[in-house]
Amino acid sequence: MKGQLKRKIIRYKGIYILLIPVLVYFLVFSYYPLVLGIFKSFQKVKLLGGSQFVGFSNYKEILLDAQYQQAFWNSLIVGGGTFILQFFWGILIAVLLNETRNKVSRSLFQTVTYIPNLLSWSVVGGLWITILSPNGMVNGILKLLNNSNFSPIVFMSEEVYARTIMIFTGAWKGAGYFAALFMAAIVGIDTSLYESARIDGASRIKQIRYITLPVITPTMKVVTVLSVMGILRNFDQIFIMSNAAISDKIKNLLVLIYEQGIIQFNVGTATAAATIVLLATFIISTVVKKILKYDEIYS
Amino acid sequence: MKGELNKNKVTGVWRILFLVLTVIIFVITFLPMWNVIVVSTSTALDSSQSGIKLWWNQFSMEGFDYVFRVTKMARPFLNSFLVTTIGTVIQVILSALAGYVLIQKDLPFKGLITSFIMTTMMIPGDLTLISVYQLNKQLSLLNSYQGLILNGLVSGFSIMMMRNYFNTVPYSLAESARMDAAGELKIFSSIYMPISLPGLGTVFFMEYVGKWNSIMLPATLITDESKYTLPLMLKQMILSTGSTSGTAVAPDNAIMATIVISTVPLLLIYIFAQKFLMEGLNMGAVKE
Repeated sequence: MKGQLKRKIIRYKGIYILLIPVLVYFLVFSYYPLVLGIFKSFQKVKLLGGSQFVGFSNYKEILLDAQYQQAFWNSLIVGGGTFILQFFWGILIAVLLNETRNKVSRSLFQTVTYIPNLLSWSVVGGLWITILSPNGMVNGILKLLNNSNFSPIVFMSEEVYARTIMIFTGAWKGAGYFAALFMAAIVGIDTSLYESARIDGASRIKQIRYITLPVITPTMKVVTVLSVMGILRNFDQIFIMSNAAISDKIKNLLVLIYEQGIIQFNVGTATAAATIVLLATFIISTVVKKILKYDEIYS
Repeated sequence: MKGELNKNKVTGVWRILFLVLTVIIFVITFLPMWNVIVVSTSTALDSSQSGIKLWWNQFSMEGFDYVFRVTKMARPFLNSFLVTTIGTVIQVILSALAGYVLIQKDLPFKGLITSFIMTTMMIPGDLTLISVYQLNKQLSLLNSYQGLILNGLVSGFSIMMMRNYFNTVPYSLAESARMDAAGELKIFSSIYMPISLPGLGTVFFMEYVGKWNSIMLPATLITDESKYTLPLMLKQMILSTGSTSGTAVAPDNAIMATIVISTVPLLLIYIFAQKFLMEGLNMGAVKE
């Protein structure tokens, strides 16, 4: 038995050599930082000399820190809100696409709704910041609607609008991607299902309700599970779109960790915070998987 | 036949509602992008006026001129282009190699190798950010192109995509080539790579978009302005405009021009890759 294994390994030695670069890469750039991070989260860096092991004190500090608590709620509210809006917006696009019979308008609609997904957050952020600026398009439209002496709203510096803007722009960017995933499932639907429903006299709305939506339910679950894993990890958008006037309402954990760890150099507490985010992400996605009975279907 | 078809359409009030919704979503998505195009090709004066700006008062390329003359956009553009292209090409090759390893039948330790790779998908790069920074400091990769290329070079996701694609190629091809005493690299490069062009295209596209748009890594690794990538440059422009006060340092048409410049390469690739894209989405995101 042992000799057989050895022979196989020798037979596949060419294969193993092909794997070396990737293995080395992952060891250095994925596993090592993870271990280093967890290690550092239990340390405090001293100004003079090296670091000192401090146990869970970094963790305690963060859990009691008002800044981190605020950032946690901001992440949850903006991330969760974005996901919910994006989800329904995506389903709506997919259903509407499926009901659009004209080929040209169909592909135009799909392309236009998908494009924002290709753009980086610095592009989407720059675009919306300009559109929401006092001289931008939104104020232009508002002025047109209340033609009297309208004074422009400075959207990006009003705390009341901050979260709504983040949620809306997040969904604006991502809805087309969700729609593409849903469309991939809808395209696979056996057309005879619709035909027999029609023979039974089901209206098109009933067909959407009883065929289209149930068929994409598994995709909805996959999308939900994948998205909740990202809820606490939305760096780019807030990094680009935040400013001093509104950062209290939207600054999230990752941006705070970046500021604390990379800029202020509080390595211990920042890595502890990152570890907490990792754990929180794990907990949230486990709970969501349980609720959706995800593992029963996909394991 | 025509009647049959009509019966299977949404009718009456619903039809109108659907049409209205389609138009609303289209307009909400399209108008901001159209606004970018119009403002980027307007004069600085026009772009600073208030208004809805969906058509030109006067067509002008001075925004683009400003961007290349004053903010020296050519450098970040080339940085982005070089780093992204080199990184993506290497990534596609490495992912394909690893994907090829993972399709071998009865390869010893295959399960172990697979979980070693899959686990990295659960180690989010953004959460190890600080240690990544320190690692790069140790390797003196801060403020270097090598650092930008090396970090995030391979992803478990692209390896899994390649594996799924190779799985659709009959395995007997590899076995019979091995009978003819062909080396693994030969089998991989002359059989699997050419057959899998659509799969390679999909991975190339997805990773290119990801790297081109990446903000967090360059923001962490790069402080030297001459090594800025486009997203960093754009962020700096947006910030310095003080959009809250409304007094812009860089005029709106220049910012919009930068947005156009940052987007055009991706749109070009998207047009080429569109064919593969649906297939790719099915292959990678929904399964597994």
